[in-house]
Amino acid sequence: MMIAPVGGAKHRLLPSCSTIALLAALALPMQAEAAGTRAGSTISNTASASFDTGAGTTTVDSNRVDLLVDELLDVTVDSSNPGDVPTTPGATSQVLTFSVTNNGNGVEAFGLTTIANAGGDNYDPVVTQIYLDNGDGLFDAGTDTLYTPGANDPSLNPDQGVTVFVLATTPGSVADGNRGIVSLVAAAKTGTGDPGDSFAGQGEGGGDAVVGSTGADGQDAGTFVVSAATVTLVKSAVVTNSLSTADPIPGATITYTIVATVAGSGSVGGLAITDDIPADTSYAPGSITLGGSALTDAADADAGNYNGTRINVALGTVAGGQTRTVTFRTTID
Amino acid sequence: MRTVLFLLLAALIPGPAFAANQVALDNHVFVERVLTDAEGKQRILLEEPKVVVPGDRLVFVLNYRNAGAQPADKFVITNPMPSAVRFADAGDTRPFVSIDGGKQWGLLSDLSVPMEGGTRRAAQPADVTHIRWAFQNPIPVGGTGKLMFRGVVK
Repeated sequence: MMIAPVGGAKHRLLPSCSTIALLAALALPMQAEAAGTRAGSTISNTASASFDTGAGTTTVDSNRVDLLVDELLDVTVDSSNPGDVPTTPGATSQVLTFSVTNNGNGVEAFGLTTIANAGGDNYDPVVTQIYLDNGDGLFDAGTDTLYTPGANDPSLNPDQGVTVFVLATTPGSVADGNRGIVSLVAAAKTGTGDPGDSFAGQGEGGGDAVVGSTGADGQDAGTFVVSAATVTLVKSAVVTNSLSTADPIPGATITYTIVATVAGSGSVGGLAITDDIPADTSYAPGSITLGGSALTDAADADAGNYNGTRINVALGTVAGGQTRTVTFRTTID
Repeated sequence: MRTVLFLLLAALIPGPAFAANQVALDNHVFVERVLTDAEGKQRILLEEPKVVVPGDRLVFVLNYRNAGAQPADKFVITNPMPSAVRFADAGDTRPFVSIDGGKQWGLLSDLSVPMEGGTRRAAQPADVTHIRWAFQNPIPVGGTGKLMFRGVVK
């Protein structure tokens, strides 16, 4: 190491010159620069001077300084899910998506691991597999590559990234609203450590490999949230007859009301209400209603139908906290 | 044998490149390392690096000396920026710079870059391709001086 001499030019410059201030800006590059100059390349600097001593212009070159660019080891991991990923109790192959980017300036392979028990959540997802994307950004076990540590660690060019899918099973014991966090960790295979640590001779192009500001490893967390829903059906009946009493006599009309209540933070898909017409009663044609609106008996565009033995109302997907009310009438034979 | 030895020594010792005539121009490159001492104070050390990494701050120092017998008039020093280095500043040496590969020269604050649509934006340090110092007065016999600029490894 050598301390640089500090001094000023002795001659007046155009337009001006005074003492050189070596301690001007103190600005550290705190953030990993995107890739940058490729590891193994050489930075050369040469200056030239021209002057006239009375015999025409003469030009001289300075000595040349060559600097070898070492490999910087830097990696970032980012969760690609825009928010919590909904899951349900007992569900398997639940997918969290991450991106792993080589922010270094040389080709580097990265080992991938996961952490699911770091706390800060309600349960530990059980990580079953890690897949490397085939480039389309969508998880497909048939076309994406199952990751095996040490066997197919992704090797990335400078600035190159790969999408990584972490598959997990949600325990059956979790409750609605529980959250489970999984972190993906990527670490440079050459080595990790404190910024500035170096691995002699292990850099691309023959130089050293130097740990960058990321420590040559990175991680980010993805979160599952249990989104469960339950359905409760309550059925009631009201009898009316020509005597204006509630007696179930022949000819009396029974109005059935079925209330479906969905509870929880999730939703229920494909929910349908089906009810057989009781024996010794006859369905009153055109009497199905949903939310107070009449539905036709035919199996057509509206949600309800009657097929001769039962009524059916398709409710589709119903979110937690909502109710659906279906009514129909029968006549006592 | 003596000649061989002398040549070997000459190759081993990186000395300033003395031109046969008159003026010597010596080029050094340092890297700024920021160290935090035991009291938590930050200190800047300049090291002569063998190797650098992207993001390193480099200090280029040019020493000149008129070793000839005549004053050197119209003295101009030019340093093209290495392509892998982004110009940062030149202290207060106020050089002329070029942002177009050496065709046009001016103070950085006076230069602008053409944009799409016919507009122009002010030139930034990162646009600089060459640096030049032009001296108003001749360098007298034996006169020396020092110039510097900073850059960041891209």
